[in-house]
Amino acid sequence: MSAPSTTVTTSANCWSCSAATAGASFCPACGKIQPLPKGADYFAFFGMPQKLTIDLAILEQRFHALSWKLHPDHFARAPEDERQISLDLSSQLNDAYRTLRDPVARVEYLLSLSGMRKEGQKKQQAPPELLEEVFELNESLDELREARASGGSAAQLPGLRAKLESAQHKFESSLADVDQELARVSAEWDAALDSAADEAAKKKLMERMNEVLNRRSYIRNLVNGVRQELVTGD
Amino acid sequence: MVFTSHQSRKQGDNTQNMPRTVGIDLGTTYSLIAYQDKREGRPKCIPGPYGTPLCPSVVSVDADGSIVVGQAAQRRLLTQPERTIYSVKRLLGRGPADVQGELKIFPFRIDPASKNVIRVRLGDRVFTPPEISAFILRELKMWAEEYFQDSVERAVITVPAYFNDAQRQATRDAGRLAGLEVLRLVNEPTAAALAYGLHEQKRGKVAVYDFGGGTFDISILKLISTSDGDIYQVLSTNGDTHLGGDDIDNALQGMAREEIRGLGVDLAAHPEVVQELRKALIAAKHELSSEDKTTVKFPLPDGSVYFREITRAEYERLIRPIVGRTMGPVRQALADAKLSPAEIEEVVLVGGSTRVPLVRQTVEQFFGRRPHTELNPDEVVALGAAVQADILEGGVNDMLLLDVTPLSLGIETMGGVVAKIIPRNSTVPASAQELFTTGVENQTGIDIHVLQGERELAKDCRSLAKFQLKVPPGPAGLARIEVKFLIDASGILQVSASDLRAGTEHSIEVQPTYGLDDAEVERMLEESIEFAEQDFSERQLIEARNEAESVLHLTEKALARELGEAPGELPDEERRAIDGAIAALREALAGTDYKRVRAFVDVLNQASTPLAERMMNRALGAALEGKKLGDV
Repeated sequence: MSAPSTTVTTSANCWSCSAATAGASFCPACGKIQPLPKGADYFAFFGMPQKLTIDLAILEQRFHALSWKLHPDHFARAPEDERQISLDLSSQLNDAYRTLRDPVARVEYLLSLSGMRKEGQKKQQAPPELLEEVFELNESLDELREARASGGSAAQLPGLRAKLESAQHKFESSLADVDQELARVSAEWDAALDSAADEAAKKKLMERMNEVLNRRSYIRNLVNGVRQELVTGD
Repeated sequence: MVFTSHQSRKQGDNTQNMPRTVGIDLGTTYSLIAYQDKREGRPKCIPGPYGTPLCPSVVSVDADGSIVVGQAAQRRLLTQPERTIYSVKRLLGRGPADVQGELKIFPFRIDPASKNVIRVRLGDRVFTPPEISAFILRELKMWAEEYFQDSVERAVITVPAYFNDAQRQATRDAGRLAGLEVLRLVNEPTAAALAYGLHEQKRGKVAVYDFGGGTFDISILKLISTSDGDIYQVLSTNGDTHLGGDDIDNALQGMAREEIRGLGVDLAAHPEVVQELRKALIAAKHELSSEDKTTVKFPLPDGSVYFREITRAEYERLIRPIVGRTMGPVRQALADAKLSPAEIEEVVLVGGSTRVPLVRQTVEQFFGRRPHTELNPDEVVALGAAVQADILEGGVNDMLLLDVTPLSLGIETMGGVVAKIIPRNSTVPASAQELFTTGVENQTGIDIHVLQGERELAKDCRSLAKFQLKVPPGPAGLARIEVKFLIDASGILQVSASDLRAGTEHSIEVQPTYGLDDAEVERMLEESIEFAEQDFSERQLIEARNEAESVLHLTEKALARELGEAPGELPDEERRAIDGAIAALREALAGTDYKRVRAFVDVLNQASTPLAERMMNRALGAALEGKKLGDV
């Protein structure tokens, strides 16, 4: 997914009356709805700094307030160009809310803003501490598939099933660990912003977040894969 | 007394600022049309010619090509089954391959030449499902126009929440073919929640369980009061677009037909008897919603009678699997909303099939609370659509509906795997941008395949559209085409692309996989005129012109007679008024504004009233002198 650039243009002018809008949703002069300034980010949309700890109640409140202003329902009888702007803006509002309310998507988005995280460039390597388990899991999965392909003797399957279930628990707890780690790095990021840390320190934190996200995505795929096998086995 | 040919004009509910945007529930079994009554501040259903607002969603084509809809068409299911169709909603937005299973149980006569869009044979004509649905919408539009005595041009139409893009587009096409501007498609359970919320003034988390004639939906909503007004936010939705009361009917039919075969009678050769049997079994189903047992007595073609007592217990055993199928989607919707059944504060039942006691029991048990059934389950969706129509009109301004897309949107990537770009239950409108580039040198196009569904592989998801992005020739990887996928508030996909290098916008011709393209809809619009009822204002103009001609004729005749019989009695002033009114009416007649024609008919009637009275008095005087009235 392509990320908007981080430069926010605030010198915008109203498309209708040409008055300066300073990036506001509605023109201060004529009141017409305005397209989002090129490159405005999701955090700015909600009037929030690029911090990773977000009060979800406040986020929801702002989401509702902005929905009232921007939703296409309120522009159903407006001219075509205003309807289109409302459609674009409210879809971006919804995309922004969907992204920011989820702590993982929030980190991914922050990284994508600075070009740290791009689609198709995620490393899909097994984390070293999980190598052994992943190897065992793949063996069990192969056995299970073979057993199924050859009719699957009832005596053989329950044993494999138990193995898979234990692997599932193992990976689910790994996932919980990774989520905690992500929360810790996120808190460090916020602290770095508060203390106006230098770019190098911030870049280092971003690299760590990226690494945690890669690990998380790998483990999540494992969990989903095992879950799928257990379900189809039913 | 005036020289007027009185035509009866229905006095509808003619208040000022009458909304011309209506809400329509285009149902599998019944369809309804409703509007927001501004004076009473509440939505109302509009009754049809039989006094009920329920229009059976049945269409029949006469031998002479004329279209019959509703009650009259329902009767033809028995007399002319091969010219009549019901439950056409099941075919909307689907391809011939999708409906093979349905053909075993529904008497749809699919044209063998059908490609991506199904064509249904009715008598000697062939129609697409949107065209047939348009006949139903047109009928409802006429009901409303008769009621308002004015034209109706804009509508909000409801769809099952779990309808995919193709099914939604087919519904919108149907509206267009019926001469309606479809302002919005609204999900049925959400519409019901709007009507309920208005009625009950509830806040909190609500589950709407909507079990209709052919579709099942579950939606989980949060009702929030904010300083701007009430927000109805859908948290999640799920369902089955092919699960409904029809399936209960089919289960009963399956049982009965097998038993009838056991009696040595095969009904396959008697389509009209099959329809009679279906009707009898639906009556039995309705009976079993309130009684512990019912008896079916059905005369067979061989002269014998199929006599069958069905107990409630046996009926429930038969339909338990069907009712059970609704619970998977219910659990998924709750999981997606991250809620447990106990966290749901209100449960609302919508749709005719929720009258089945087993359905009520099942829902009550699952949520551990008694569901709401205060509003008529048949009408509540149409009422909610009328509220949404009024919101769009700018009438109701303290309610906002935030709905979601029921299915994930994805694009096919290498190896036939689907990359999800907008997850299910995203609030709409929602969008996603994807960047595409070329893989080989001088590649001139990039193929994009858009799909909807939750499965990993493209072959298991619903194909929405395939299209090709044109790129200028150049080295591999140089092109940068950004494609924007946007799901609008109706849940319909729009695609646009921009070439980031050239800085140009592309419009994309999206050929829907299972739908009509714009050219086909245009062609159908043209064709539909041949059997279209005239447009309301056209009808009104014809009536008004007839009335004007008749009044002109009578007035001129009377004037000539007055001048001949009592030349001195007509005051100049009166004469001038009449002549003026005649000239004005003639001028109005040259135009096409029926309201103007009517207004000048009234002016002329007023101008000629003294003349009419004098002539009448003379006639009465003459009658008293023993002359016959006709001689005057």
